[in-house]
Amino acid sequence: MPVHADQKSAAVPSFTCENLQVTLVGAAGANVILDGIDLTVARGEFVSVLGPSGSGKTTLLRVLGGLQEKSGGTVRSADAPVEGPPADVVTVFQDYSHSLLPWRSVRRNVALGIESKLTKPECAERVAEALTMVGLQESADEYPWRLSGGMQQRVQIARALAMRPSVLLMDEPFGALDAMTKASLQDQLQRVQELTGTTVVFVTHDIEEAVYLSHRVLVLEGRPAHVGLDLAIGLPSPRDQITTKESPEYLALRHRVYEAMGHGKRHA
Amino acid sequence: MRELMARRVNLLGAATIAAALLLWEAAIHVGLLTFTYLPPPSDIANGFSELLSTGELQENLWHTLSAAVSGWLMAAVIGVSAGALLGLFRPLWRYSMASVEALRALPVVAFVPIAVLLYGFTKEMEIVVACYAAVWPILLNTFAGMRGLDTRLREVGHVLGLGRAAAFWKLQLPAATPAIMVGLRLGLSISVVLTLVAEMVGNPAGLGFALVQAGQALQPEQMFAYVVVIGVSGIVLNTVLMAIARGVFRGQMAAAGDAA
Amino acid sequence: MSAMATPDKTSTAATAPATPGRGPGRRRNGHSGTPVRGLLPLIALLGLWQLAGSPDSPYYPPPSEWFAATRPLVENGTLLPALGWSALTFLLGLIIATFLGASLGILVGASRVADRALGPGLEFLRVLPAASLVPVAALILGYTMEMKLAIVVLPATWPILLTCRSARRSLSPVLLDVPRTLGLSRKERLTKVVLPAMTRPVLLGIRVSAPLALIIALLVEIVTRINGLGALLGAAQANFESAQVYGLLLIAGVLGYAVNWLVTLLEDVVSARMGTATG
Repeated sequence: MPVHADQKSAAVPSFTCENLQVTLVGAAGANVILDGIDLTVARGEFVSVLGPSGSGKTTLLRVLGGLQEKSGGTVRSADAPVEGPPADVVTVFQDYSHSLLPWRSVRRNVALGIESKLTKPECAERVAEALTMVGLQESADEYPWRLSGGMQQRVQIARALAMRPSVLLMDEPFGALDAMTKASLQDQLQRVQELTGTTVVFVTHDIEEAVYLSHRVLVLEGRPAHVGLDLAIGLPSPRDQITTKESPEYLALRHRVYEAMGHGKRHA
Repeated sequence: MRELMARRVNLLGAATIAAALLLWEAAIHVGLLTFTYLPPPSDIANGFSELLSTGELQENLWHTLSAAVSGWLMAAVIGVSAGALLGLFRPLWRYSMASVEALRALPVVAFVPIAVLLYGFTKEMEIVVACYAAVWPILLNTFAGMRGLDTRLREVGHVLGLGRAAAFWKLQLPAATPAIMVGLRLGLSISVVLTLVAEMVGNPAGLGFALVQAGQALQPEQMFAYVVVIGVSGIVLNTVLMAIARGVFRGQMAAAGDAA
Repeated sequence: MSAMATPDKTSTAATAPATPGRGPGRRRNGHSGTPVRGLLPLIALLGLWQLAGSPDSPYYPPPSEWFAATRPLVENGTLLPALGWSALTFLLGLIIATFLGASLGILVGASRVADRALGPGLEFLRVLPAASLVPVAALILGYTMEMKLAIVVLPATWPILLTCRSARRSLSPVLLDVPRTLGLSRKERLTKVVLPAMTRPVLLGIRVSAPLALIIALLVEIVTRINGLGALLGAAQANFESAQVYGLLLIAGVLGYAVNWLVTLLEDVVSARMGTATG
């Protein structure tokens, strides 16, 4: 039974990584992707992970989500070592079209993770609640392939929320969406996160998105990658697409992150 | 093609086949497999060399393949031209396609007894059966290839001011080549199979009859040798056809990727 | 009824190399689009045949003779049981082939190593003409129903096995991560995600396998004369009852249509349930 975020003591961090190393075995042999990652994610925190493409952001997220094995160091979710997907950690994938089951309606897609763990009325209630959070009550009986990309991604988020996870891991969830849809989903995610107090680890390649949404931004650098920059984002909440993005604090933070990503330094 | 290149030498696959053959051999010697007429691979190899030394194998192989390929060649001519006509002329399609589909849906093997009645126990009968069976896939794939011409390509034809004949030779036929090749490949394997059937049921000659005969003479090792030969010759025929197609229609085949 | 040797995947998609498992769901080979008036030449031909053909012709007996010659088979009670036997062989064979092909295909496609190891062997068995196995099976298993079934099952398994194998191989890894992150059990992963995702490839395989199974069933019966429609055909031919041969061919054709119609119906039902989505 997943435990809701606020029921757990805030003192135990959602994730602790010490000297984490990950090696992927591909066609060209073993390849060390991540090395020497030290990382703590506090409960209720919204942390974004940035880095150049191929730097191992997604790999880090998959390790946290228990979908990928590490080759060294430790990873703990809450206070237990991660061996397989932890019960209250849910990953939201970038590829929404392949992560929804086309033969299930939106409602039944959202129910996928909870239908066998709860009674029918409980399950229906949770599904309705999750759909309301992402504003999809109207489309509950549609099939996912009839929905736009943004709506499909909201279904996937609703499916994760229905699990009442204490941690959401999001892998470039808005990467494939157009700018307008992206902005509205960012705000929705922000509201949901505040409402539920869920910890979010958010992988993205969009610097503005990372700064806008997060409490903290991590930048991976090097090959194998380690945490290069760990920057607290002290912007007031709730944030606003216009005023926040015009504030000097936001611009200064954005500047730092751009620099950390290697812009203006001429390398990589 | 790409798949073939990527596979190159599949040692693991070859090893698995070898292991399976060894297992078969061992299972019979140990007594795990006790069908009276299931020979171990070593006996089959002996049967094969026996057939080879008497010349029976070559003779039968030639008989069957020549019948199958002649039938297939006739089918290729008939199927491609009929398919092209159906693809080019809408009214013709409208007033005959349903007949084609109706005839095609009749189980091909059920025609063998009719062919036997009409042509007797002859090689001619085998060729007719092979031809009839191979016509359908060739015709339908040619038709589909003609029909499937990209509208963009059609517009190119208009823009360049190509006449109807020129558009056919320069656009439609080349664009349909991969589809036609698919039809020809299917047709070839079907014509081989139907030739075998015709030999089993009708004309007492060739590999098909040899199979039945070996069975009746209780010589399973020869029978299995024939089965292997039949399988290998199917693969060889297909490979030869594809090699020719790649040589002749290099551009079209490459553009279609691994479609054909 | 395109093929007797198990045709490869390309036969189902005449032109475009369809990505297995995905691609447009409702591909129809133009059955609905073909105008019925296209039957006119066939009807005209049969009419002409009827008018011009001599009733005593040993080669081309006119259609009316076909019915007259087939009627005794109905009256002496041989046709119906024969039809039943053929249909039973076909159905049982197809069902066994579906289970065998789907489970083996999914297993082989799920493992890179198994896929590579078994690939060439499967390829050889696929191209091996089913017809050549008839005498083999007859010799090993004897002239029995099991023998008939074995011969029908073997070639009908390949199309299903191969479509399932390639569909499983190309199944999106994300789709397999979803049940893991949602904490579904292994069993649930199979029943709720993998098997439903395989429904379409299985159907695609059945579309190729079903006509094949029918043809092979008839073939076994023609060659071995074991009870069934094919046995009647073979016997009629051996006795030079040409009109009866034509009549039985027509009945075989009707059976072929029925099979086609059933498969299309099945596809429509599943499409309606599963949606036309990418998959």
